Amino acid sequence: MRLARLAVVMAAWTALAAQGAPAKAPPPLAPEHIGVEKLPAKTPHWAYLLDVSWNNYIDERVYVYDGDAGRLLGMMDLGYYGNFAESPDGKTSALAATYWSRGGHGTRTEVVEWYDNQTLKPRGELVLGARRAQVGAITPFNLAYSADGRFLYSTNLTPATSVSVIDVARNAAVSEIDTDGCVQAIPSAVHRFTAICENGRLLTVTVDDSGHEAQRSVSDAFFDVDKDPVFVQSVPTPEGVDFVSFLGDVHGVDLTDNQVRFAPVWSLVSAKERGHWRPGGQQLLAYNAPLQRLYVLMHRGGPGSHKEAASEVWVFDAKAHKRLARWTVPTAEHGGGVAVLATRDDKPLLYVATDKSALLVLDAQSGRVLHTEEKLGQSLWYMQNP
Amino acid sequence: MQARLDRVMELAARHVARRSSRRSFLGTFAMVLTGVAALPLLPVRRGSVAEAAELPPKADGSAATPSQAKPKIVTDPNSCEYWKYCAIDGFLCSCCGGTSSTCPPGTEPSPITWIGTCQNPADGRDYLVSYNDCCGKTTCGACTCVRNEGEKPMYRMSLNNDVNWCMANDNPNYHCSVSVILGVAEK
Repeated sequence: MRLARLAVVMAAWTALAAQGAPAKAPPPLAPEHIGVEKLPAKTPHWAYLLDVSWNNYIDERVYVYDGDAGRLLGMMDLGYYGNFAESPDGKTSALAATYWSRGGHGTRTEVVEWYDNQTLKPRGELVLGARRAQVGAITPFNLAYSADGRFLYSTNLTPATSVSVIDVARNAAVSEIDTDGCVQAIPSAVHRFTAICENGRLLTVTVDDSGHEAQRSVSDAFFDVDKDPVFVQSVPTPEGVDFVSFLGDVHGVDLTDNQVRFAPVWSLVSAKERGHWRPGGQQLLAYNAPLQRLYVLMHRGGPGSHKEAASEVWVFDAKAHKRLARWTVPTAEHGGGVAVLATRDDKPLLYVATDKSALLVLDAQSGRVLHTEEKLGQSLWYMQNP
Repeated sequence: MQARLDRVMELAARHVARRSSRRSFLGTFAMVLTGVAALPLLPVRRGSVAEAAELPPKADGSAATPSQAKPKIVTDPNSCEYWKYCAIDGFLCSCCGGTSSTCPPGTEPSPITWIGTCQNPADGRDYLVSYNDCCGKTTCGACTCVRNEGEKPMYRMSLNNDVNWCMANDNPNYHCSVSVILGVAEK
């Protein structure tokens, strides 16, 4: 047996020699040493991409992506029905999710994990109550830091609604504030949050220095849920947020004061387009403050199509209320747009994620596609700026 | 209107009694009542106008009527086009070991639900449909179906299909969704 094997090796060696060795062989490759990459310095063109892993929801994740390099830089585990928020100083990411001790069953834990944004490793955690909201429409307002990073607001739903106020430095939930059926926690300076209510009003709660409710107020109604409801996926603006309705009305909300103020309503669509062209998708709005641009995922459709993927991105001057461009999403090739994000700088990128989990990175001023990921993960439904 | 509400409340209460544990009764009843309160505003008659507009015109150019070109009736509960699924968002339990109204083995129905109103093309009636989730295992992964007739954002919770309706189960892991007829939505 051993002789036979030797004969095979000799034959192979002879055959190789017969082919003739190159005149000068290149130097051999140096031995490699396994290591761990360090994240490069963060730029405004990075984005956090939340993959809900639709077909196996207990395995959500957050990708860290460099839009300039067109490169995935790393990942954080997220669990089930997770939410993501980056601290205002950029050093920490809060990831709140559900886990079970045996995969999809066993002992349930609701937890917020504090990830170090340089190492992408969790460096601590806070176990939460079993009331944490498990919400499919992912927004920046299911889990949100106060403007100064002192508190983290984590929404609850049982289906009674409330907000847990977490003192970040103490790593403790210090209060639970009943929001009277209203949902979300849209933060505003310095320790306030605003929730949206079924009757079309906004509830604003001011939090005192100990994290408890100090004051609450309710706004006038600004929309009619039966005639034309607004999406809960509003987009942050310098003054507060912009809500958009199913039919394409824009409701600017100013949260800079204790008193909520509403800007005059304007429409994304002409009278002729109204009811035929509609906003839709998951994260359907993006805003860039330096250029005052509002980007909206749009599709042709009727009532009930509000989650349909977009065939176009419409670009608006958010101050002049004027449409500047219509950019076609390459739906046949990459699927329709379900999430859109503009970077915060004055030479912004526009990220568009599709229902085929493709990722397109565009020049947000020209619409030119700079980079395409054919398929990144499984279901990219939400993206966030660093 | 009062008679209609009474009828709907009776149906809802029966449904709750059939489906719920004592522990979950109050929460469920509150949710169903919320849905009932919104009923007059539900899109209880969507079909005729929209469908007529999409039918091919007659030879003289006038609009066709629905009776001239009957849409094909989908009877397969594994198809997303099946009539009961008009406001569903998730995986069809009928593809996951259950049926259109029963959960797969080893899962638990959610005691709280969202409500839709769907028209059965076979008899032309509008039905109140309760969309219960089946819970306790990770997502089934078969037959994704997303339809949103009359669906509202989550601040109108009883008509929203985006929140996890397994939230009140012992194990709130979402597996798939069923559509359970509550009764005829009387006009």
